[in-house]
Amino acid sequence: MAAESSLPAETVTVIVDGKEHKFAKGMNLLEACASVGAKIPFFCYHPGLSSPAVCRQCLVDIKGSPKPVPSCYTTVADKMEVTTNSPKVLDVRRQMLEFTLLNHPIDCPICDKAGECSLQRHYFDWDGKLARNEGDKVRKLKVVDVGKHIVLDQERCILCTRCIRVCDEVAKSPDLTMAYRGSEQILTTAPGQRLDNPYSLNTVDVCPVGALTAKDFRFARRAWELSATPSVCPGCATGCNIEIHAAQGKIWRLVPRENPAVNKFWMCDEGRFEYKAVHENRIFLPQLGGKRARFDAALAEAARMLRVATAEEAGSVGVVFSYAATNEDTHALLHLAIDGLKIQRIYAGGRSPGWSDAILVSADKNPNTAGVERMVPLPLRTLKDLTSDIATGVLSTVLVLANEALPVPAATPVELVVLASHKGPLVDAAQVVLPIATWAEVNGTFTNKDGRVQRLHPAIEAPGEAVPGWRAVALLAGKLGMKLAYASAEEVFAEAARSHAFLKDAAWGPSSQPVQLRFGESRG
Amino acid sequence: MAREAVPQLAARRRVVFGESDVSDFDDEQDLPTESMPLMMGPSHPAMHGTVRMALEVEGEKIKTADIQIGYLHRCFEKEAEYATWTQIFPYTDRLNYVSPMLNNVGYALAVEKLLDLDGKIPERAQYIRVIVGEISRITDHLTCLAAGAMELAAFTVYFWLMKAREWLWELLEEVSGARLTHSYVRIGGVVADLPEGWPAKLREALVKVRGAIADADKLLTRNKIFRDRMDGVGVIAKADAAGWGLTGPVARSTGLAYDVRKDHPYLVYDRLDFDVPVGSTGDNFDRYAVRLEEIFQSMRILEQALAKIPTGPTIIDDARVALPGKRETYNTIEAMIAHFKLIMDGLHVPPGEIYSFTEGGNGELGFYIVADGSGRPWKCRVRPPCFANLAILTKVLPGLFIADVVPTFGMINMIGGECDR
Repeated sequence: MAAESSLPAETVTVIVDGKEHKFAKGMNLLEACASVGAKIPFFCYHPGLSSPAVCRQCLVDIKGSPKPVPSCYTTVADKMEVTTNSPKVLDVRRQMLEFTLLNHPIDCPICDKAGECSLQRHYFDWDGKLARNEGDKVRKLKVVDVGKHIVLDQERCILCTRCIRVCDEVAKSPDLTMAYRGSEQILTTAPGQRLDNPYSLNTVDVCPVGALTAKDFRFARRAWELSATPSVCPGCATGCNIEIHAAQGKIWRLVPRENPAVNKFWMCDEGRFEYKAVHENRIFLPQLGGKRARFDAALAEAARMLRVATAEEAGSVGVVFSYAATNEDTHALLHLAIDGLKIQRIYAGGRSPGWSDAILVSADKNPNTAGVERMVPLPLRTLKDLTSDIATGVLSTVLVLANEALPVPAATPVELVVLASHKGPLVDAAQVVLPIATWAEVNGTFTNKDGRVQRLHPAIEAPGEAVPGWRAVALLAGKLGMKLAYASAEEVFAEAARSHAFLKDAAWGPSSQPVQLRFGESRG
Repeated sequence: MAREAVPQLAARRRVVFGESDVSDFDDEQDLPTESMPLMMGPSHPAMHGTVRMALEVEGEKIKTADIQIGYLHRCFEKEAEYATWTQIFPYTDRLNYVSPMLNNVGYALAVEKLLDLDGKIPERAQYIRVIVGEISRITDHLTCLAAGAMELAAFTVYFWLMKAREWLWELLEEVSGARLTHSYVRIGGVVADLPEGWPAKLREALVKVRGAIADADKLLTRNKIFRDRMDGVGVIAKADAAGWGLTGPVARSTGLAYDVRKDHPYLVYDRLDFDVPVGSTGDNFDRYAVRLEEIFQSMRILEQALAKIPTGPTIIDDARVALPGKRETYNTIEAMIAHFKLIMDGLHVPPGEIYSFTEGGNGELGFYIVADGSGRPWKCRVRPPCFANLAILTKVLPGLFIADVVPTFGMINMIGGECDR
């Protein structure tokens, strides 16, 4: 096997369900079994966290051991003989599930987790037996406001402690704990304390059941109706890998997607709310002098303004790039402005820097600063330079690409052509506005602060007449008599990869269609 | 046989319009004519089920017939790939829509084989499936005979037989809640037990149906007008029946005694005593007679099944296959989860493929299903019996009169919903 030949020198031989396999020394037994296709259910184990072996769901038989052992807490050893599917093991799993379900409330119809719940999945896959008792269940608190973003339902909690470990090990903020014992055991915060760390919503993701639910997503949508699209968070320069969960043309939540090199399994709370801006203050139609216009008319007017300005005095025309725009938008604009219009005054701007930490959050709040800086061959001037250049009368005409509401001075004496997705003072001041799509609506790439080029996929349709930035640029170029005939973002990327060294090793990757969670692999 | 037939067919189609050529006709009284294309259907009243026959006629005689189907295509097979295993039952209702129960049963048996539930279905459920299935077979044959008679102007017979069909459909409505689209069968059994007092009602209805059929029999079987249109018309050879893949009453009319219930028994058919009637000449009248006799055989089966049916559960006791009861679902988390998963994800059928076949109203109704372990079929193909049965008309019709198309097509009993899927 190819996988085995790439193993490190020190390997151990383990017999899993009667078949011999080689694993790297020190490997976790659960992961080892899963890697060779042996199915083992679990609640408390998480690949990004330590293993406490509290749920007893991953018990397996090891020859020589008097009792079944938790595989998540066991390291592979040479000559180990493991059975993952003997009648005894299956019976133990079933009994543990019966225990877990004993006091579980009958909440599926009103539970946000239903449809992506590990408990539902494991019961159906491994138990399937109806209840043997009909006694009263232990009642606990139902709607506990534990934090700014999170509501706790103590009855639904199956005491796996994943959330506690996320707070301890990922957020480094030990906010949660268990209290009491036995059937009265509950998950809670210390009196007066709140679950308010910047990574608190990861507890909702790791919760195998609906005990911790996000206030933002609570009762918003049934999980199985959502369609997942792989994407990248536009919130900062880290570029956490995410899944966009959308339904009926609207994004309902962003969740982290595993990438060991960037964000592992996590993302910050701030990033999760980046989707809100996609649906707010959008520009649907082109504008001419503040009034709705046909796309073609707006393009023609923009082209006329640029042609006149560059003919009169090329030095008085400026172009503003956005650190929030994709590599493709940036490349297309670069092509138009520098190669086509011979503009030398290049500005770039984005959101102002903010807080940062040593975990995931970067101070630079733009997703593609690295990409823009690496692409533009001329010295980049700041927005502060832009303000002063406008004030001193150096500039007469400015072409702006603003995927986000770029903080460009509004009341200006200059002629403004704006390619923008969002309303704002800049758009109000512009003579020509062309609507463009946001990160959630396009194919494209962002370059994160480490120079890693990561792919975006469209999760929803762009509203109104909005088109991807590169297409708006290409249409404008067409009106100016230039040939920028891109059929797709992939073609722009291919051209950019030929002209920019840092994109040489980047691959466009396969296209991805949104997959309805009901039919995809359950997240539970 | 079939292999030889193809070149002949091609030769017949090589026609130059406007050329008068009567060499094909041995009937000397025929005047030489030019051949003419004639489109029968799709909106012709006798082309029930919606089908078009592109005929090439010379005078009143058919020279070639091109049977064009597809007017009732509903994407059943593709649609099934996007529905959970249970959600497909309503679609199967709409295959042969005059005997939906038989389709329900055929599909359920296929999925049950994939789930390895063969032999684990409660006995009462198996008997119920036989009972509702045989009622459906009777209604199927009644529809065919009634419509066939009506198209030969015997309108009275149509009403009498339709009335009999209605008595039976009322019984099925009482069982399932729907007169036509029953969706009564479930994977693992049937959705509900027979209502109280229902067997007695069935026995009563069978007596009345016998009376209605006896009346129709008197009006048709020795009726010269009827016999002249049926006897010796649309003859299918026994070898052709086998070669063209014909099944059901059409195949049996030729003497081919193939009945899935007898040759590959399923459910409890091996415990029930019944005969497989066969014809001798394979003409339209044989098909009429075979269907008439099969109705009586189905009644025999029904009487035995009613006598033998045991008490007990009507659906398998497995929360991973059958929905738990309402009381359990609302009061225990286990049943709630099982219910949720069965409805939202569908039951999990292990990866595999199966061809399972049963005796439908028109013959061998087969389901070829491929499962990939998910809650939906990866592929769900139907072998509709009347697709093969209809195909042979291209061979049978040439040489007949235009008027013969009506009884011949009628006795094939093409059901569009099933043929086109």
